[in-house]
Amino acid sequence: MKYNPVTEEILAELREIVGEKNVLTDEEKIEAYSHDETPAEQYAHMPEVVLTPNTAEEIAAVMKLANRELIPVTPSGARSGLSGGAIPEHGGIVVSVENMDEVIEIDYDNLMMVLEPGVVMNSVNEMLEESGLFFAGYPMSVETCYLGGNIAENAGGGKAVKYGVTGRYIMGLELVTPTGDIVQLGGKRVKDVTGYDIKQLIVGSEGTLGIVTKATIKLMPKPTQRVGLLALFKDEETAISTVPKIMTEGGIIPTSIEFMDKLSVKTSCDYLNEHLPYQDAGAMLLIEVDGIKEDVVNSDSEIIGELCLDNDAIEVYVADNHTTRERIWSVRRNIAEAFKVVSPHQSLEDIVVPTANIPKLMPYLDQISKKYDIQIPCYGHAGDGNLHATLVKNPDHSMEEWYKIEEEALVELYEATRDLGGTLSGEHGIGSKRKKYMEMMMSPAELNLMRGIKKAFDPNNIMNPGKIFDMVD
Amino acid sequence: MEYNGVWTLGEARDGEIKEVSFELLSRGRKLADKLDEELVSLVIGDGITDEQAEELIKSGADKVYLMNAPALKDFIAENYSNVIEDLIKEYKPEIILAAATSMGRTVMPYIAIKTNAGLTADCTELDIEEDTGNLLQTRPAIGGNILATIKSPNHRPQMATVRPHSTKPAEKDESRTGEIVHLKLDSSLLDGRVKKLGFRKNEGDAVNIQDADVIAAGGKGMKKGENFAMIRELAGYFDGAVGASRDAVDRDWISYPYQVGLSGKTVTPKLYFAIGISGAIQHLAGMKTSENIIAINEDPDADIFMVSDFGIVGDLFEIVPELNKQLAEEVK
Amino acid sequence: MNIVIPIKQVPETSNVKMDEETGTMKRDGVESIINPLDLYAIETGIQLKEEYGGKITVITMGPPSADKALKEAIAMGCDDGILLSGREFAGSDTWATSYALSEAIKEIGDYDLILAGERATDGDTGQVGPGIASWLDLTLSTYTSKVVDVNLVDEEVDYTTTEQDSIIVERMVEDGYEKLQLPLPALLTVVKEISFPRLPTLRGKQRSRKIEIPQWNLGNLDLDEDYLGLQGSPTRVVNIDHPKVTRGGTVIDVREDGNVEAAVAKLIDYLKSKELV
Repeated sequence: MKYNPVTEEILAELREIVGEKNVLTDEEKIEAYSHDETPAEQYAHMPEVVLTPNTAEEIAAVMKLANRELIPVTPSGARSGLSGGAIPEHGGIVVSVENMDEVIEIDYDNLMMVLEPGVVMNSVNEMLEESGLFFAGYPMSVETCYLGGNIAENAGGGKAVKYGVTGRYIMGLELVTPTGDIVQLGGKRVKDVTGYDIKQLIVGSEGTLGIVTKATIKLMPKPTQRVGLLALFKDEETAISTVPKIMTEGGIIPTSIEFMDKLSVKTSCDYLNEHLPYQDAGAMLLIEVDGIKEDVVNSDSEIIGELCLDNDAIEVYVADNHTTRERIWSVRRNIAEAFKVVSPHQSLEDIVVPTANIPKLMPYLDQISKKYDIQIPCYGHAGDGNLHATLVKNPDHSMEEWYKIEEEALVELYEATRDLGGTLSGEHGIGSKRKKYMEMMMSPAELNLMRGIKKAFDPNNIMNPGKIFDMVD
Repeated sequence: MEYNGVWTLGEARDGEIKEVSFELLSRGRKLADKLDEELVSLVIGDGITDEQAEELIKSGADKVYLMNAPALKDFIAENYSNVIEDLIKEYKPEIILAAATSMGRTVMPYIAIKTNAGLTADCTELDIEEDTGNLLQTRPAIGGNILATIKSPNHRPQMATVRPHSTKPAEKDESRTGEIVHLKLDSSLLDGRVKKLGFRKNEGDAVNIQDADVIAAGGKGMKKGENFAMIRELAGYFDGAVGASRDAVDRDWISYPYQVGLSGKTVTPKLYFAIGISGAIQHLAGMKTSENIIAINEDPDADIFMVSDFGIVGDLFEIVPELNKQLAEEVK
Repeated sequence: MNIVIPIKQVPETSNVKMDEETGTMKRDGVESIINPLDLYAIETGIQLKEEYGGKITVITMGPPSADKALKEAIAMGCDDGILLSGREFAGSDTWATSYALSEAIKEIGDYDLILAGERATDGDTGQVGPGIASWLDLTLSTYTSKVVDVNLVDEEVDYTTTEQDSIIVERMVEDGYEKLQLPLPALLTVVKEISFPRLPTLRGKQRSRKIEIPQWNLGNLDLDEDYLGLQGSPTRVVNIDHPKVTRGGTVIDVREDGNVEAAVAKLIDYLKSKELV
C-alpha cells in the first residue's frame, strides 16, 4: 500500500479544519508523538504532522480528507502504551486527543459517566472521591493513561480478577469512522442485543477501526476496606496451585492475585533492601481483597490466608494499613524498576496462559534464559494467567547480539506459550511490536476474518495502518 | 523567689565550644533585651578556658556560668540533668534555651519533668508576649505543615530547644565585657549508673548534615548507591554535605545518618539540592526551611518543584554531571 | 527480660500530596497508623524477647480507636496491650503524657527495659521518652542505634554477686556513635538504624484479633488529677498557622529541547545571584 505525503496544500486544509494552533509540524514538538513506552530505538517513527483537534466534527473532516488523499492517520493518547499502538508507522497524520478532556456528565442515577477520550484515568477517580463511586477498569499506568487509550487497548491491570477489564465498563461510544462518519454505539443501556455489539468490537481494536470521541462508562461503589496478603511459597508450582482454590474452596473472589517468581522477588527485594525472608521463597503471591465492611474483608483475608498455609505456604503476611500495604505492593511494583538497574534494555512481554499452566511455563523460561544467557523474570496477574515475562538484556551482550537474541528468544517463548494454550498478549496489545508473531497464534481463516472487518471499516487502510496484522492487497 | 534572667545552655565537646552555643546567644540576647534581664550562658564540660568563655561574652552573654570537671567531660544525661536542675533551683532563671541537638533534646525533657516546667521542642521562632512577658515559642509540627505557637503561662522556668541553623550566630563585639563565674561541681550530683565505654566517629565524608551550609541530597532517582558519587562531587564544590531521601536510605544506597526528612534529620542549610527526589511530605518536612532549594527531577509534576526556588526537569544523569562540569570551571 | 513499649497512633502522612492552590497538605482520607519510628522500638523489643525471653507489653494513650495500633503491635509479636483512654487525658502535652504513661508503666511493674521510638512523626517533639525515664528515674539512652550486648546476672547461679543486669548500646550523635553501658531497668529511645521492622503474620493477626485490650484511666489507675490533661500541662498552644510552603520558583524543562548545558548555565547564574558560588 502506497501512501501520499502531507503537502503544504494539505497542511493548509488541515489548518482550516482544526485551526492554526492545533497543527504541529515543528520537529522538536512532534518528536514526542513518534514513540510510546516501547524502546524508541526499535519502534519509533516520526509523523509528518500532529493534530490536536477539539471536536468529533473536526476529526471527521480530517478523516474525509485523509481518505481522499490516501494519507495514514494514527490516533494518539498519553502514549503510555507497551505495544507501539500509537506510533505512526507510515508517517502521515497523528490525531492526538489531548485537547478533548472534558467530563460531559456524571449520571448518579444510572451510575454512569460520559467523558471525552483525553481524560486521564486517575482524574476520573479523584473526581468521584466524595461520591463513594469509582471506575474499576484501569491499568497500572493509571496516573498517565487516557480513557481513549484504555478503550483502544482494552486495558486490564491489577484488579481484573474481581473487576474484569476496561471493556466491561464501556456502555457507549461515539466513534469517528475511518471514512469520516460519526456514529453513536451503545448508550446508557445495561442490556442491548439490538444488532451486532460493534462498541465491544471497537474496544481493544488498537485504533485501527476509528477514533473514539466520547465514551459512556459504568461506575461502581468504591470499596473502603483493603487487606493485602503476601504469601511465600517454596516454588512456583505450589504457589500457582493455590490460586484456583482461593475461588473454588475459599469461595472468595479477591481484587488481585499477583504472582512473582524467585528471580523477580529476589531482584526487587535486593533493590528495595527488603528484609522479608525471601531467600527461602521460590515464589510469592500477593493477594488483595477489598470491600465495604471491615469484618467481612478481614474474615475473607483470613480464609484465603489459611488456604495458603494449608497449601504449604512458608509464611503469610497481612497488610491492612497503608504502611504495610505499600510495603508489600512495592515489592511487586518495583520489579521492572529493579531490572532496569540490571539493564535498561528489555522486552516486556504480556503472555497469557490458562492459569493452571503457569507452572508448566517456568521450565521453558529457564531453558530460554540459560540458552541465551539472559535473565527472564516472570511476574504478573496470576489470577488472570497474564504474565509479564520480561527478557532482560545481558549487559555483556552488544546491542546487535541483544536484538538477535530478543528475536529468537521471543519466538521460543511464544511457541511455549502457544503449546500451553496461551497467546501473545493479555492487556498490552499487538500493535507493531508483536504483529509478526500473529501467524504463530492464529489460523489464516481467523486472520482473514479480521482483515474483512478492517476492510469494512477502512476500505483504504488509512486508519493506524500496519498494526496487529498487515492487509494483503 | 522571683524567676529572673535568660539562660542559654552552651554545648562543648573535647573542650571546644560548639557553634550552636553562639546561635543560642543571638536568640537569647533579643529576649533578654525585651525583658530587660541578664543573659547567661551556662557551659558544662571539662577544660573549657576563660578565653573560650570570653567569646560567649563577646557574642552577647552578660554572664558565663562555667562548670569544669573531669566527670563532666562527656555528656551523660543523668549527670548533666542533676547539675542543671540543681543550678535552676539555686538561680531560678526565667527562660532556658538549649539547642535541639542530641544533647539538648535529651537533657531538656529530663529536666523539665523534674522542675515541672513547660518545654517546647525544636523551635524556629522565639519572642516575648507584650503585656505578660511570657515566652512565645513557635515550632513546626505535623511534618512542618502547621506552625504552632506555644507558651507556658504558669510555670517557670520556660524551657525551649531551638532548631540548629535556624538563626545566625551572634556577631562578636570585642568591646563587650561580662562576668565569668566558675562553678564547683557538687560530686553528690553525679549519677554513677551510666558508663560511657567509647566513641566512634562517623566514617568518611559523613560530616554532620545539620551543621552543613550546603547539602546535596539524592533520592530514588539515583537508581543505585554507586551513583551517589556524582552527588558527593557536587557537594564537594561547596564543601557541603551529602544528604538523602528515605527511599535512598531504605534501599541501602547510603546510611541513615544522611537521611533528611520526617523519619530522619531536619536541616536548614543556605543551599539544598534535591536530586531525583520527588518531594513527598515526609522529605519536605526535613528540608523546606532551607534558604535556597534547587530541584532536579525528570517528573515535571513532582511536588519538589512546588517548594523549589530553581528547578530543572530532565534526566539527572545528564544534568548533574553537566552541573559538576560547569562548577569545576567556576572554582578554577 | 520484660519489656514495655509506649507507642503512639499518628496520621499516615508520608504519601500525602500538596494542595496546589493552598500550598498546604491534603489531609482528607488520611488513615491512622503506628508512628513509623515506634516500629523500630517494637522490632527491637521482639528481637530481644526472642533472644532473652520475657514478655512485651505495648501501651498507648489515645482515643478508644487507638487499640488498632496496639493490636497491630501484638500481631507483630508483642504479648499484651494497654490503652490509656479517657476524657481526663485530653489536651495532655508531653509533660502530662509522660506522667500518665509512667504511672501506667509503674502499674504494669516488673519491667527491665522500656523501648520507645525517638519521636512521633506528628508532634515531632521526642520529649515523652526522656520524660518517662525522668519520672521513673531510669537510666536513659536516646537516639539508640544499636544494642551491642545484654548482661543478665543469674542470681540462681551466683547469689553473692553485686553485679547488676545491664545493656550496652550505641547512640547516634551529631558526629558519630557513643557506646554506653546502662544498668537495667533502662529506657532507650531508638532510631531507624537499630532494626528492620517485620510484617505482621496471619497467625499474629488472628491472635491480636482475639485479644482483649484493657482500658486504663482515672477510674482504675491511681493518678494525680492535677497532672492530667490540659490542666496538668504546663504548655498552652496559643496559635496555629498553616504556612504556605510553595515557592513557585523558576522551572526549566529540558526533556524536549535537551539543552542541558543552557539550563545548567542558568542555574549557575541563579546561584551566583544568591552569592552561593
